[in-house]
Amino acid sequence: MTGYLVRRAGQMVLTLFLIITFAFFLVQAQPGDYATFYALDPDIPPEVKQQLRASFGLDKPLWEQYLIHLKNTVTGDFGVSFGHFPRPVMDVLVERVPRTAVLFLSATVLSFYIGFFLGKAIAWRRGGWLEYTATISGATLFTVFTPAFALMMIWIFAFRLGWLPVGKFLDPLVWRHADVSANYVFGQMLLTAFLFTAFAFLVLYLLKRTGRVGLARWAGPLIAVGGVAALFVWSFSGVGGLALDILKHMVLPIVTLTLISFAGTMLLTRNSMLETVREDYVMAARAKGLPEKMVRDRHAARNALLPVVTSLVYSLVFAIDGSVIIEVVFSWPGTGLTLLQAVRTEDLPLVMGAMVFIGLFSLLAHAIVDVLYVYLDPRIRYQ
Amino acid sequence: MAAKINGPLLKVEDLTLRYLTRGGEVRAVEGVSFELEQGQALGLVGESGCGKTSVANSLMRLLPDNARLAGGQVWLRGEDIFALEEDEVREYRWRRVAMVFQAAMNSLDPVYKVGQQIVEAIEAHEIEGTISAARERVARLFRLVGLDPALMDRYPHEFSGGMRQRAVIAMALSCDPAVIIADEPTTALDVIVQDRILRELKAIQQQLNMAIIYISHDIAVVAEVTDRIGVMYAGHLVEYGNTADVFRAPLHPYTDALLGSFPSVTGERRPLAGLSGEPPNLIDPPAGCPFHPRCPRATQICQEEFPPQAWEGTQWAKCWHPMNAGAEAPSDVELEAASDVGIVEQSAHGEGG
Repeated sequence: MTGYLVRRAGQMVLTLFLIITFAFFLVQAQPGDYATFYALDPDIPPEVKQQLRASFGLDKPLWEQYLIHLKNTVTGDFGVSFGHFPRPVMDVLVERVPRTAVLFLSATVLSFYIGFFLGKAIAWRRGGWLEYTATISGATLFTVFTPAFALMMIWIFAFRLGWLPVGKFLDPLVWRHADVSANYVFGQMLLTAFLFTAFAFLVLYLLKRTGRVGLARWAGPLIAVGGVAALFVWSFSGVGGLALDILKHMVLPIVTLTLISFAGTMLLTRNSMLETVREDYVMAARAKGLPEKMVRDRHAARNALLPVVTSLVYSLVFAIDGSVIIEVVFSWPGTGLTLLQAVRTEDLPLVMGAMVFIGLFSLLAHAIVDVLYVYLDPRIRYQ
Repeated sequence: MAAKINGPLLKVEDLTLRYLTRGGEVRAVEGVSFELEQGQALGLVGESGCGKTSVANSLMRLLPDNARLAGGQVWLRGEDIFALEEDEVREYRWRRVAMVFQAAMNSLDPVYKVGQQIVEAIEAHEIEGTISAARERVARLFRLVGLDPALMDRYPHEFSGGMRQRAVIAMALSCDPAVIIADEPTTALDVIVQDRILRELKAIQQQLNMAIIYISHDIAVVAEVTDRIGVMYAGHLVEYGNTADVFRAPLHPYTDALLGSFPSVTGERRPLAGLSGEPPNLIDPPAGCPFHPRCPRATQICQEEFPPQAWEGTQWAKCWHPMNAGAEAPSDVELEAASDVGIVEQSAHGEGG
């Protein structure tokens, strides 16, 4: 396993190098460069234009620029964004990436759960009303034209019903007198979510460790107590209202994203499950007198999960580079929007920084899922 | 659960089962009756598709959704198992009747450790209070079936075929069932392992004084380990008796053909007698005796009426013309048989053309 991980890390470094190289030359292959915008301005004298290009380092030969970028990237220096001058690339990314990640991770996890639960339910009881409703609506939402659907969601829930904000990350009126920054509150929210997840896993793990039959039924209530405690702390923290405002802004994009993507997991789970329910070990589980729910979840669905996890990797990568369409429609200041603007203006440092980030994340996601596979399927061993 | 009625441990009476398929109703089991006492071993033999496994699944209350119980009753210790509610069925399975599956190779879930899968059954029936007690029980069972208890924490793919079979037997024993059904318990194994496991299973059965039903297409396998034998053909139990009697002097021509189609290692050298033709289509079975199209002794009456039981001591067969026709067969039947030969041949030619 260790040998495998070392080799795997080596491959990842190589892949990342290729990603950086391709991204650099692809951006450079566009006509013009960042200074072109100024070069077209007739009020700027030619020598100033030349000076401008020189100050960005754009007058150097291509291969030299590439080598400088490579050297800086390796040393962890992502430089200063041209477009957001004088903010460093790292600063821009640290602000944008978590916003996209939270939005898309929530939607991915949500649609994975909904898809998996619906998928296994419709494969277990075939031919019921649930199967038809879920399949037809799921497939329709999966194939619908995303911007139209997103706009429709905004029109219904934000405009007509007025339940949720139309877009953006927060409501300036709520934050006018706030003495903390949005990033601080958002960071605390992320921390809470992380601690709560860790707590839930710990409870499940410890209850399993005790080895007492039947003790596992206390897991649900215990985790609920943890959740209530977290809410209690937040409501007395003084920034609870601000957190709520951010949450409110997250609801509509998350629901929209979940609706358009859950059918993928659902149909995959269903197909995979239709194969596992025919397996002899599922029949054996039933013969052993296990409750139907256990036969379905512990045996049929557990084995059906394996191919579904593979598809999750791609959704995870989606979680960091975001979706330009969704971010534009919901005016969500995330990575997708940032990257698009950076590419269009040839903001080289920002493009490269974002590419390294996205590349690193997707490589890590793949590696994590490969390792996860060992735990999901004991037949898999890496040497 | 104490015995409510004095009587046999397991009593199957007139069990009749249908499968609803697109092609029509499959008459899988037709009026099967037998009894089983504590400590007894019964063998059910017959070709594939003769209804052996359907009988086994009925006893487990483990029938597919398209199955319909068309008649008959099964009592275990005087309790009508088809009257059980859904919750009671779950209690009943494995605790009362457990099964060694036909495909032992695939009846272990690949993603769980073997021991854990047995613990799961013990847990579901609350046989032991704690997981450690359940694990100790599994360790005892492993020793009983000749497996190292250290193998409990291995996955099925790390087991050989024979080891898996032993693990599946340990799993069947895990909840002290009253009856164990072994459905083709050794078919997937090589002959040497097969023989050893059969002998061990028999020893365990005698040691624990369990009732066991062996189901196999291989009459030789069943002969070694059972006291009683039932031969099934096209959903019917066509012959039943003490294993030794049935082997020495089969009454039904089908049993005779089955015995003739297996080689004997120690017996005389003789050509294997195959049985021509195929088992009938159970959606539209032949009228009269279902075996008549393949039967060398068939006569007019075999095509028209289902035969009654012909007895020979404790052994019986459902046949108009049982093999040792000496004792009970009336002479006019033999006369009829002689005169009908021509008709049988004609119809056979007709089918061929």
